[in-house]
Amino acid sequence: MINDYKSRNSLLDTYRPAIVRLAGNLIAASFPLMKIYPAHACLEQAAARGVIDPDTLIVESSSGTMALGLAIACRWSGYKLAIVSDAACDPLVTMRLKDLGADVTIVPAPLAVGGYQRARLNKVDEICRLVPNSWWVNQYDNVDNAQSYSALAADLVESLGRIDCIVGTVGSGGSVCGTANYLRMLFPHLYVVGVDTLGSVLFGQPDEHRTLRGLGNSLLPQNLDHTVFNEVHWVTAAEAYTATRILHRDTALFRGGTSGACWLVARHWAENHPDQRTVCLFPDDGYRYLQSIYDDAYMTQNNLWIESFPEPRPVKHPLDAGPKWSYLHWARRSYGVVTGLKNASNGQVLSAA
Amino acid sequence: MNAAYQTQICSQIVHESGQGHAIAQFGELFQGVARDDEGKLHRCLVSLPCDKLSSTAKFISAASGDLLVTPASKQKAQKAARIALEYLGSPVQSGTLIVESNIPEGKGMGSSTADCIASIMAVAAVLERRPEPQQVAEIVVKAETASGNVMFNQPVLFAHREGRVLENYFRSVPTMLVLGFDTEGDKIVETLLFPPAVYSAKEIEQFRVLRAALRRAILTHDARLLGSVATASAEINQKFLPKPLFAEICHSLREVTVLGVAVAHSGTVSSILLDAQDPQCNAKVDLILSRLESFGIQNILQFRT
Repeated sequence: MINDYKSRNSLLDTYRPAIVRLAGNLIAASFPLMKIYPAHACLEQAAARGVIDPDTLIVESSSGTMALGLAIACRWSGYKLAIVSDAACDPLVTMRLKDLGADVTIVPAPLAVGGYQRARLNKVDEICRLVPNSWWVNQYDNVDNAQSYSALAADLVESLGRIDCIVGTVGSGGSVCGTANYLRMLFPHLYVVGVDTLGSVLFGQPDEHRTLRGLGNSLLPQNLDHTVFNEVHWVTAAEAYTATRILHRDTALFRGGTSGACWLVARHWAENHPDQRTVCLFPDDGYRYLQSIYDDAYMTQNNLWIESFPEPRPVKHPLDAGPKWSYLHWARRSYGVVTGLKNASNGQVLSAA
Repeated sequence: MNAAYQTQICSQIVHESGQGHAIAQFGELFQGVARDDEGKLHRCLVSLPCDKLSSTAKFISAASGDLLVTPASKQKAQKAARIALEYLGSPVQSGTLIVESNIPEGKGMGSSTADCIASIMAVAAVLERRPEPQQVAEIVVKAETASGNVMFNQPVLFAHREGRVLENYFRSVPTMLVLGFDTEGDKIVETLLFPPAVYSAKEIEQFRVLRAALRRAILTHDARLLGSVATASAEINQKFLPKPLFAEICHSLREVTVLGVAVAHSGTVSSILLDAQDPQCNAKVDLILSRLESFGIQNILQFRT
């Protein structure tokens, strides 16, 4: 059956993941652009609740795939969109955002406390105050982000039946927490592995500059429910990028850096648990990374090639993670219980320790 | 008036009397909401069929007079017979309907649905007609507003207040051994007085996942997955019509591996679903029966799907 491009399901159908078996017990959900799911659902649910109307200016802070997802979903639904980004936003994404009709504002400089993240959120606040009929999507705290992954969970369970383990990179927490919570209705013993990067506050590391983008965060989003996770891994940019290239060579899957990070961890877990059907989430394709991950000169100059992957090192506390691939048995505990810190309040930027 | 109806008009009384039969259900394997192809949400369910209990109806046509029903309390069956006579184009609208059923009422076991189906089939037999399950479903829903889906003889995702099939799986229910019981012996739930559940946005999305699992479970004959769907559906709906003792019973059986649990979404019965192929099945049944008895639950019905 051919979908009309304007029909209700066409957007999600077009961006549906390929479900690919990578090894006997390892299956990937490989998305062209995963963020279409939350972008579409956040708009649809806001419209259903009457929070937005056809004239509302949609506003979001993002330098990556959420911006692109929203630009596509807004164009498809007919909403105006303002994206606040920073210098880290690559020109390819900016070009595409503009072509899709989004208004892109680049914040010029990071703030002393909170860096670019806080500077971008201040700008969002400014736009929302300036434009009366505007609405901030707020993917980090908007429950419709996590809830939108019902479509993925439904696809996975229909294609695979029983699922024992899910591995995914964590940024807003939406994809992993959302998908895992749906799957646990059916498979209560589902084992959930989160993949983060060193210098991200999500699982208790101090906030630092991060080379690896598309996962990790300088803020604790409300969509991140720490008690979902059985295990948390921290990987480096070099490990993730090299894995992305090897994934491409081994399987011809042309993926972004987060997919590489996810695959590295998922493959290790699946090899060590041969009787457990493991699903890993690959959030975007490789085109954005042609001049970085897929550029040999870039990889060499920035010391991002590694000869072999280290065996992941178990740690007892998030502060012990690094400098290479490390992991912690999170055991579905809260942030406070694992880190010994008071749960950081929403939106608070945790400064480097 | 459509062409199908035109041909129905030509029906005539072929036999003086006719019989119809329909089985019970034991609550639902799934109940929630699902979207149609246009994205519109529908309340829907999949019944858990139970052929241990049934309803039989006999219709004796008469040239004139009222449409009488015995026992007189079977008014939904009477209404279904009346609608069926008209719908199937009977030249007469009179006769006697006798309904005999061993399905308890008000328990979520589909007693009135079975009465209605049996009555419609009895009327159809008099006219020597074989109505499609879809036609039967439409008549039943007209007669009793909401119904189960046992008229299809196969699991379908059934919009029970519209009489519409949202999805037909063209397969049978995977084989399961069911231990059915009633936690509230005295209580009855009148389907029409019980307000329909209002599901949250989150629950609507949860049902989307359960619907996908349901399809997989039926198409691949995966009883274990079907049991998980039934359990998850029961949990979501538990807050709309809580079953007393249910949580305690589940807790007391936590060390026993079963496929899942099912509840009546408008009714008082619940059931435990077991894998009939499990070598330990008999031992598990004995254990579960003794636990249920320790909760004061008697009259446990054992049946297979």
